[in-house]
Amino acid sequence: MLELRDLTMHFPVREGVFNRAARFCKAVDGVTLNLHAGETLGLVGESGCGKSTLGKCVVRLNQPTAGEILFEGTDLAPLKRAALKPYRRHLQMVFQDPVESLNARHTIGEILAEPFIIHGIGDRAARAASVAGLLDRVGLPATAADRYPFEFSGGQRQRIGLARAIALNPRVLVCDEPVSALDVSIQSQVLNLFLELQREMGLSYIFIAHNLAVVKHVSDRIAIMYLGRVVELAPADEIYHSARHPYTRALISAIPQPEPRRKSGRIVMTGDVPSPIDPPSGCPFHPRCPHATDRCKVEAPALRPAPNAPAGHTVSCHYDL
Amino acid sequence: MALKSRFLLDPLTRKKLRRFRSIRRGYVSFLLLTTAILLSIIAELLVNSRALIVHYEGETFFPTYGGISTGRDFGLNYDYEVNYRDLQAAFKADPASGNWVLMPPVPFDPLENCYPGESFRPRPPSFAEGHYLGTDQINRDILARLVYGFRNALIFSAAFLVFTYLIGITLGCLMGYFGGWFDLGVQRLIEIWSNIPFLFVVIIVASVIPAGIGMNLGVLLFIVVLFSWTSMTYYMRSATYKEKTRDYVHAAEVLGASTSRIVFRHILPNVLSTLVTFIPFTIASSISALTALDFLGFGLPPPTPSWGELLRQGTSNLQAPWIVASAFSALVLVLVLVTFVGEAIREAFDPKKFTVYR
Repeated sequence: MLELRDLTMHFPVREGVFNRAARFCKAVDGVTLNLHAGETLGLVGESGCGKSTLGKCVVRLNQPTAGEILFEGTDLAPLKRAALKPYRRHLQMVFQDPVESLNARHTIGEILAEPFIIHGIGDRAARAASVAGLLDRVGLPATAADRYPFEFSGGQRQRIGLARAIALNPRVLVCDEPVSALDVSIQSQVLNLFLELQREMGLSYIFIAHNLAVVKHVSDRIAIMYLGRVVELAPADEIYHSARHPYTRALISAIPQPEPRRKSGRIVMTGDVPSPIDPPSGCPFHPRCPHATDRCKVEAPALRPAPNAPAGHTVSCHYDL
Repeated sequence: MALKSRFLLDPLTRKKLRRFRSIRRGYVSFLLLTTAILLSIIAELLVNSRALIVHYEGETFFPTYGGISTGRDFGLNYDYEVNYRDLQAAFKADPASGNWVLMPPVPFDPLENCYPGESFRPRPPSFAEGHYLGTDQINRDILARLVYGFRNALIFSAAFLVFTYLIGITLGCLMGYFGGWFDLGVQRLIEIWSNIPFLFVVIIVASVIPAGIGMNLGVLLFIVVLFSWTSMTYYMRSATYKEKTRDYVHAAEVLGASTSRIVFRHILPNVLSTLVTFIPFTIASSISALTALDFLGFGLPPPTPSWGELLRQGTSNLQAPWIVASAFSALVLVLVLVTFVGEAIREAFDPKKFTVYR
């Protein structure tokens, strides 16, 4: 339903007297992904790997430098503001911090009515009814409509953010770390709401997170990103049990285990994430990879089906590790 | 629902107002200032050479806001405007007629020479003559000139505020929202523009302005606003830059909101609340700017009552210290009150007060 082809987002780094874009920050560097109807695609990576930028490109908060965003066959990437508007309602976003994403000057009723006003749906009475319906759907009382965002807790605010995103019955929801700003005790409640709504409305999620435990809970498939590229893509269980990419293995081994006596076997990566302005040659992971060879320093690996793995498991590594 | 929220202030604003009220110095200054402003609006009823009520031959007249009544209307033997003070004296001399006149507390007009025929000289304050603050060098009542000068200064600063903010907010918001070359270009233009020496322009304009138009409040306002709107753009530009990268703006963009909707419904309301803290200081600076221009003689044309003109008279007539003393005290008092209000607003609106950490 949604297909990203070679999506690239390079931010110019302006410097010098004439503000020339001398170098580029390669936040997203040729990502190809597809998203099926009703599925959840988890997007995991360290901070700065470009996962949020990818999400913002999908909802066209950023204008991608190159590549295609095919939504049911239409390429959204080159569309201008006016041409994009009819597609906006199908692609919505839930933001990380619900304090930032709700306008403090508007009541909940005004916030939730805005999607309908912008797209010219219904009159005042119809909008009020829709707002009440949305509040009910995310488990908030109808009286919330007259109150202001700061009167609600973090979890409730995230429910409001979710209600706004689903107001126009979207097909795809980009969720940018939607629970990482919440208390752990609230996270599971909100995650369950996400799953419930997915079942009811047939939503597809692009679920961005840095917490693998959260992603595992909700995702059908998981894509691991490193320095603006997808290094491994597989069904959620596959990623956990038979990861192929050395980076994925290091991430999995970093998940805290609730069993204290279990042998940790943690793979500790050396070095820092290189700057996306000046990424390493060849495979972007080679400076930190324990298995790197001379080939990795020169030749960038393409995403290929992982050997001896079920279909749908792809990895970008030269070797069969 | 929407109706209700239009009329009720949102709780954050109410909280700020509550805190403003709890800052006593600022709140008392605010009350005093508001009273002074309200009184200056009805100044015609308090300081005026026309009577409030004239009861003549069984009929009652309210001359304050009406047209001119001649002396003959009230049984006097002249055709120019009635001198109500003389009329009052005449009626008092003949109590049997049942006619009476009620004068305002200060029965003088700011433009009238109170002792025509006598040589012009400043007269000291005298309760017997009704000149509570004395007269200036051409025998005009100083209290009347102070009150109407205050009103002129208020009109000037209110208009100044509206126009500078309108231009500054609009342009600053656009610069911040669009950014890029537009922002860069306008910024350079503003820098060039704000380096034009304002006082010279006023002097030049005052000397070349056609006699038909003359230097009036509108022209003066136009020139001052022309050179004062720039400072507001700096603040608005950076505030808009900051707001536009916040997620609630992104959320509106993802929903497909138009530029005007984002700027006017989302960014502006979030920026305006801090803008309120600037208002008292803008008013203080515009009052002192007008006074300074009047003092130098490039402001409002004589005989318009103004504090700057009183100060100039006072400094050149130091043998009559009551002129400079009253103008100076009034100016200091108003500026101090405005500043107290400004500081209280600033404190009440301090965003740090809302966080858990203090």
